[in-house]
Amino acid sequence: MSIVRLKPILHHLLPIENPRLSPRELRRSELPGSIRCCSKPRVSVSRGLRRSDPLRSLPIIRAGVAPTPSLTEDDQATEVVYSETFLLKRSQAVEGKVSVRLDAAEEDGSRWRLVIGCNLPGKWILHWGVTYHDERGSEWDQPPPEMWPPESVPIKDYAIETPLKTSSSNPEEQVLHEVQIDFDSSVQIGAIHFVLKEEETGAWFQHKGRDFRITLRDTFKEESSLGGTQGFSIWPGALEQISTLLKPEGSSPMTQETLRGGREAKQWNSRIAGLYEEFSISKEEPVQNLMTVTVRKSNDTEKKLVQFDTDIPGEVTVHWGVCKDDSKKWEIPPTPHPPATKLFRSKALQTSLQPKENGRGSWGIFPVAQESLGLLFVLKLDKYTWLKNDGTDFYIPLINVSGSSTSNSQEQIGNKQMDSSQGSVSTEEAKPVVKNIEYTHEIISEIRNLVTDISSKNGKGANTKEAQESILEEIEKLAAEAYKIFRSSALGFVEETVSHAEPSKPAVQICSGTGSGYEILCQGFNWESHKSGRWFLELGAKAEELASLGFTVIWLPPPTESVSPEGYMPKDLYNLNSRYGSMEELRDLVKRFHEVGIKVLGDVVLNHRCAHYKNQNGIWNIFGGRLNWDDRAIVADDPHFHGRGNKSSGDHFHAAPNIDHSQEFVRRDLKEWLCWLREEIGYDGWRLDFVRGFWGGYVKDYLEATEPFFAVGEYWDSLSYTYSEMDYNQDAHRQRIIDWINATNGTAGAFDVTTKGILHSALGRCEYWRLSDQKGKPPGVIGWWPSRAVTFIENHDTGSTQGHWRFPSGKEMQGYAYTLTHPGTPAVFYDHIFSHYQPEISRLISVRRRQEIHCRSKIKIIKAERDVYAAEIDEKVTVKIGPGHYEPPNGPKNWVLAAEGKDYKVWETS
Amino acid sequence: MEAVLTGPKVAAAAKGGAFPARRLGFGESVRVGSGIGRVGFDAAMRRNRAIRVGAGGFRAELVKKTNESPRKTNSAQTGPVELFVGLPMDVASARGGVNHAKAIAAGLRALKLLGAYGVELPIFWAAAQPDADPAQFDWASHAALIEMARAAGLRVRATLCLHGSHRRPGHHEEYLSFAVDELPVLGGRKPVEAFEDFFRSFRSAFADFFGSTITGITVSLGPNGELRYPSFPPVTGGHQFTGVGEFQCYDKYMLAQLKQHAEQSGQPLWGLSGPHDAPGYNQSPDSTNFFRDHGGSWETPYADFFLSWYSQQLVNHGDRILSIASNIFGELPVEISGKVPLLHWWRGTRSRPAELTAGFYNTDGRNGYDTVAKMFARNSCAMVIPGMDLLDREQPRELRCSPESLLSEIVGSCGKHGVKVLGENSSLVRAPAGGFDQIKANISAGNSKVESFTYNRMGAEFFSPEHWPQFTAFMRSMVHEEMDSDDLPSNEKGMLSPSAGSASQKEREMQAV
Repeated sequence: MSIVRLKPILHHLLPIENPRLSPRELRRSELPGSIRCCSKPRVSVSRGLRRSDPLRSLPIIRAGVAPTPSLTEDDQATEVVYSETFLLKRSQAVEGKVSVRLDAAEEDGSRWRLVIGCNLPGKWILHWGVTYHDERGSEWDQPPPEMWPPESVPIKDYAIETPLKTSSSNPEEQVLHEVQIDFDSSVQIGAIHFVLKEEETGAWFQHKGRDFRITLRDTFKEESSLGGTQGFSIWPGALEQISTLLKPEGSSPMTQETLRGGREAKQWNSRIAGLYEEFSISKEEPVQNLMTVTVRKSNDTEKKLVQFDTDIPGEVTVHWGVCKDDSKKWEIPPTPHPPATKLFRSKALQTSLQPKENGRGSWGIFPVAQESLGLLFVLKLDKYTWLKNDGTDFYIPLINVSGSSTSNSQEQIGNKQMDSSQGSVSTEEAKPVVKNIEYTHEIISEIRNLVTDISSKNGKGANTKEAQESILEEIEKLAAEAYKIFRSSALGFVEETVSHAEPSKPAVQICSGTGSGYEILCQGFNWESHKSGRWFLELGAKAEELASLGFTVIWLPPPTESVSPEGYMPKDLYNLNSRYGSMEELRDLVKRFHEVGIKVLGDVVLNHRCAHYKNQNGIWNIFGGRLNWDDRAIVADDPHFHGRGNKSSGDHFHAAPNIDHSQEFVRRDLKEWLCWLREEIGYDGWRLDFVRGFWGGYVKDYLEATEPFFAVGEYWDSLSYTYSEMDYNQDAHRQRIIDWINATNGTAGAFDVTTKGILHSALGRCEYWRLSDQKGKPPGVIGWWPSRAVTFIENHDTGSTQGHWRFPSGKEMQGYAYTLTHPGTPAVFYDHIFSHYQPEISRLISVRRRQEIHCRSKIKIIKAERDVYAAEIDEKVTVKIGPGHYEPPNGPKNWVLAAEGKDYKVWETS
Repeated sequence: MEAVLTGPKVAAAAKGGAFPARRLGFGESVRVGSGIGRVGFDAAMRRNRAIRVGAGGFRAELVKKTNESPRKTNSAQTGPVELFVGLPMDVASARGGVNHAKAIAAGLRALKLLGAYGVELPIFWAAAQPDADPAQFDWASHAALIEMARAAGLRVRATLCLHGSHRRPGHHEEYLSFAVDELPVLGGRKPVEAFEDFFRSFRSAFADFFGSTITGITVSLGPNGELRYPSFPPVTGGHQFTGVGEFQCYDKYMLAQLKQHAEQSGQPLWGLSGPHDAPGYNQSPDSTNFFRDHGGSWETPYADFFLSWYSQQLVNHGDRILSIASNIFGELPVEISGKVPLLHWWRGTRSRPAELTAGFYNTDGRNGYDTVAKMFARNSCAMVIPGMDLLDREQPRELRCSPESLLSEIVGSCGKHGVKVLGENSSLVRAPAGGFDQIKANISAGNSKVESFTYNRMGAEFFSPEHWPQFTAFMRSMVHEEMDSDDLPSNEKGMLSPSAGSASQKEREMQAV
């Protein structure tokens, strides 16, 4: 009954906020009746509380009609059970202009004046230098002393910094700050380079990720053919270039080629004087807004009403979900959803707030089911701007508001203690450590209060449904709190959160972390594959065979130009001519695999990139090619490469500059590159190299931008050992991998290095008991998050000719008997496919496919003893590995031997 | 309804006034108005079993002012099942602290609200005696915990753990050989004397709490608190031990006693060693001759001699400890208990090797638990039996387990000798398993002697979203079962979730059977 009631209110009333819509206005007349009708039975239950007043029970209408819903007004209508105002700090882009003006300072053109201005408020510094030859990659030098404006200070030996002065000369143009550089036309410099620095924030302002550059003298020979005197010819060239810089504003990153295009212009003479150009720049300014979230009790006991109210201008979308437990795992709330709500990738709801009538901000009211423990949200302002609560999701506790149900009766029974107990409860914090006795006393008195409260509640005969519900909520809250504390003091991962992410649905659902869930991966190369120079052609010849073996996905070697022949030291990301073959051959190969029904993963190295050029200090940190970044794209905490970016968000790969993914321009460029690869080559997904090097959240960003069919990351670090003996418990190791997957939001899987490591010990040392963890589950990532685990026993690094961590020799088939029958997505190494193991691998793959084992299959470990391990998967496949004996019992199921080899057997149900 | 005492405890009943009764019918509790007043004693009787468990929960009875002894009745028919939850093993820390105090506090409150009767508090000898001085005990952290429980309105069953006694709580494998109980091996003192000191210190430290807050004391009788030989390695995690175990008679004290016993029996050659053809810990019964179903040497006169002696040593050890406990705590209005293991693997064989090696001479056709139950009865002690959650069909088939038949055999022996049964589960019950249903079946069965049930054990997993809702539903179904429909608030939804409601419906049917 109560459910019915809220629906009409929301569906009919919310739109009424716009009074012009008369048809809706009409419906309004139905409302009081329906409400009264529904409220009636309640009146008797709630013993005539004021909520039985139908007018007061409609705060929603009031909120909707009021131009700016005021909280105080609404307080009168329904009790506010929780309210919190968040300070939203964000930075807002303030658009401004940088102007460059070049004028002749003397009539005869012997002296020139360069005026660089900026109309954004701030304390601006021009950080600038010159180059004597306008060559790509050449280093800055300090300008000759006669060029230095007053107050300039040298920066090392390659630049100077000159403050911009507040300009009064051109008020109508609103130039607030400018600097003048006067110089002689005879000066032998090729170009002036600058960036602007905002002194207070230390922020750098560049042009599309690079310096602003004003070319004064061109060293290219064709320049002289333009005629005119040598002295003059430089200027128009420079101006032309500036104007070229301006035109493609907002288009793809400027390349050297487009800059040079300016030289073709013939009309420069006419534009020599008074030329003035502007560049748009934007500055991030801190902005503060407020968001008030108020939870109210609804008359509908099934629901609570959560009101959002903010002064953020413009469109605001609440991206939200609810959680049913303390894990703060996002879940979609049950329908009905508020109007103007979209489902976002079946993970969250997106509800647009409606603008207030006074135009200052927006608001909305969401009904939330009573059983939700909390509401999680982040705010989305536009496509790229998300607001979080200090880096985490906003969290609004709902269950905590159990006072809601009792606060009504509070007036009646006048129970003050109840409040105090709730207050004390809600202020609890997780402090798992040992407490002293005084502390215990505090707790004891809290408990006493609580017990008294409960008693008095009962004693007062408030044994209503509300009171019981409040007790139930209290119980849930207490349990959640105890759980939080126990969990935080227990080491490691709590699998509960993951098991929620593992809905056992056999239906095919594509997501980049799992593909279809039924993928079988082939690593299509080894460490030597580059040697022939025609690997793409050779592999193409095997496409049919790989498809017939049952593979669904192939991982190809890294395709870019690389300093090392194997491809893992990429240089120019857009140059796809590698030692494996040309870009054309790669495109054909991908096409070939698509013809046979195999998806293709590109091996992309995003962590590091080799530089093209040295900087003036001899450090290799200047990039070339289409992505001609400089040292600002390199992380700052790698001593080898003098990066000027932010600190790395992960581990370092020491052989090459580590890319600073926190830089917006880097991410934008990488996304563009990945999309280009998808488009140009036809890749379906990614194998991500060395993802330990940067935060998984960036990976999520890349994957969401490129929407791959499947993606898997290489997160490889060491297992734990004690005195060279591998520990039985590798939870910390798999935890790190899980953490990374979590950071990607599950958009990528990860190689199950833990399982490989444990298989090494289990098989190599006859310690099969290792294959069951303390909870009787598989001990690797597949035991915790099988759908995101890509199992493998060997790859180009661990095996092949490198052999960094080779699988125990002779046990490979036992390894595959394990991975190919178990949940997770199995990968098979090229060297094993094309070896004498092929028939056995083929048989195992066909069992997997025939029995439809998938990445989420259920596994039951039957035996994990010294010399034998046995497990049953989805109740239709049983596998045994190890020299010990095991046979599935002959019960109701008829087990038929499906595959066998040295020390392994696989049975399937017939 | 629970005023009858047995044996030496009758005296305590006389001073019952000193102890707040945990419940004395609802008629006397403070509830006024509303339909609740009707939920009373009568309703309880009508339903035959158990009103109270949960009544305490949602209606949080007041216990403070009643004046009746909490002692228990011997007529199990009318006694409700008291529900306990075990506190974490490491709950008491050294130097008077409480580990995870905030979590424990929240947990206690949640349990009270859910209708739990009490908590089980493990007290390790080592934690209570942190310093080397054998005369010094430090009860600060336990006192804090018991105070917390009392403040929350919960009772405490204290488990005095003698194992793990070498200042390393949690290391259960350390238990002295039973043969040295009466030998001065602990710095010139006998282990039994040391146990006695421990018990006495506990008694004097908590004198004010017995009967009111502390309603039960369980003394540990061997490894993991259980009356058994350490015949198999400590079970860690989910790594279930599946071997037959080994006889533990090879230390010099045991061998000396065996030799003496053999000589007295006129078979000196039998006293030189244990059985020579018994398998190792991890082996299966068929791997050597001793336990074979047919023609195994367990059926020989030698084996009968050995097994009788071996199992009697265990019973004697239990008797020594329980009688000490009885002497020290017998005057108090608390229930003394000891725990026996549920050695259910290989029960499908005739020789039942897991039980034999652990010290229970309980082979095909021979009841070994009668002797044990008799010993418990002699000491007026209740028996704690774990594994109430175990189902035959959920055990690995190849191990020929049968927890259900073993449980009923032990419970049967208890019934025969008038020993009360305190049930426990063996591990947290997970959703798909039938564990909670099994527990309910075991503790609710009409002829059951199970008087209380302790669910083990509080911790992160216990409160996890995977487990907690199941446990809540279990508790609430226990509660609901005991409330008549007219005791419930009259509203369309009812206070219980549909699942709990249906569980309780099922429960009713079960009772009717």
